Amino acid sequence: MNVTHDTAQKTTTLHAIGRLDFEAAGGFQKDLEASVSAAAADGNAVLIDCSALEYVSSAGLRVFLVGARAAKAANVPFAVYALTASVKEVFDVSGFGRIIDVLFDRAGALEKVGRGA
Amino acid sequence: MISLTEELTLLAVEDDGRIAYTAGSPNFAMALVGACIVDLNTAGRVDADLTGLNVLSTEPTGLAAQDRVLQVLAEGPIQTTDRWVLELQGDAPDLVRLTLAQLQQRGILHQSEKRFLWALRARRYPIDDGGKEQKEAKLRILAALLSDGLPTPHDTILIGLAVVGGLLEAFMSKSEIARLSERIAEIGGLDLVVRGVEAAIRADAEVRAHAIMLSIH
Repeated sequence: MNVTHDTAQKTTTLHAIGRLDFEAAGGFQKDLEASVSAAAADGNAVLIDCSALEYVSSAGLRVFLVGARAAKAANVPFAVYALTASVKEVFDVSGFGRIIDVLFDRAGALEKVGRGA
Repeated sequence: MISLTEELTLLAVEDDGRIAYTAGSPNFAMALVGACIVDLNTAGRVDADLTGLNVLSTEPTGLAAQDRVLQVLAEGPIQTTDRWVLELQGDAPDLVRLTLAQLQQRGILHQSEKRFLWALRARRYPIDDGGKEQKEAKLRILAALLSDGLPTPHDTILIGLAVVGGLLEAFMSKSEIARLSERIAEIGGLDLVVRGVEAAIRADAEVRAHAIMLSIH
């Protein structure tokens, strides 16, 4: 899996591309934790763009919980958006929608984390 | 740190070393299999998704119960987590035995046999480390349920498996569990493997219910 980053509107966005499985989970977790930490220092929100995330396994899913947990503990607004159908199904089955803000698109996500236009 | 399987098994050991009656239930058996699968996932031996449980490596972990499950998974077809949990629940007594032996090797408990009326034997597993590991697991569960933070992946899985395995009752009152039911539902079992265990439990209950109805008519 590849991850690109951008920062705009006081928001750090991680764009997850590809498959988040056991092999990719460790690296993504480090990246996400570092992004949350930096966002906390800068007063930014953190979003994860899942529009190009094709697949999430059980190991990969746990990374979202780690990120959400770190964000909540650091008072960093956090959301994910544009889940593909297969990833949305994983989120629905596991109940992640109860603990992570999941939005349809970037505009909705920015609104949710208080960075909307 | 001890494995999830060991923690779950420890939660089933009562203060006097007896094994809680709930550990004799099919639900506990399936929760224990789920714990083994999660340990294997954490160790990079398997990974699960909604279509199946995939074996990534057959290298033993060194934990007997988990390695036994890994061997079965490696030799079998790719199937969903719930199918594997249903299939492996019959192995639960052996998995418990292997896990208790592991806990004994770690010095966390020991096996003792008491005789009653000179003939009846009762096996118990008194805890040796001052109850440290068991207390820690219980305190982490309670802390997660009583706070409004998010749990770690490990703790959400432990809570989810303790719930379906009937183990919360061992250290929380019915009224406490009822009072915290929303929180338990919110943060317990936020995990694909735990959801697979829950699906297996539902499927197993349906089969049993069907069998009962057939026997009536």
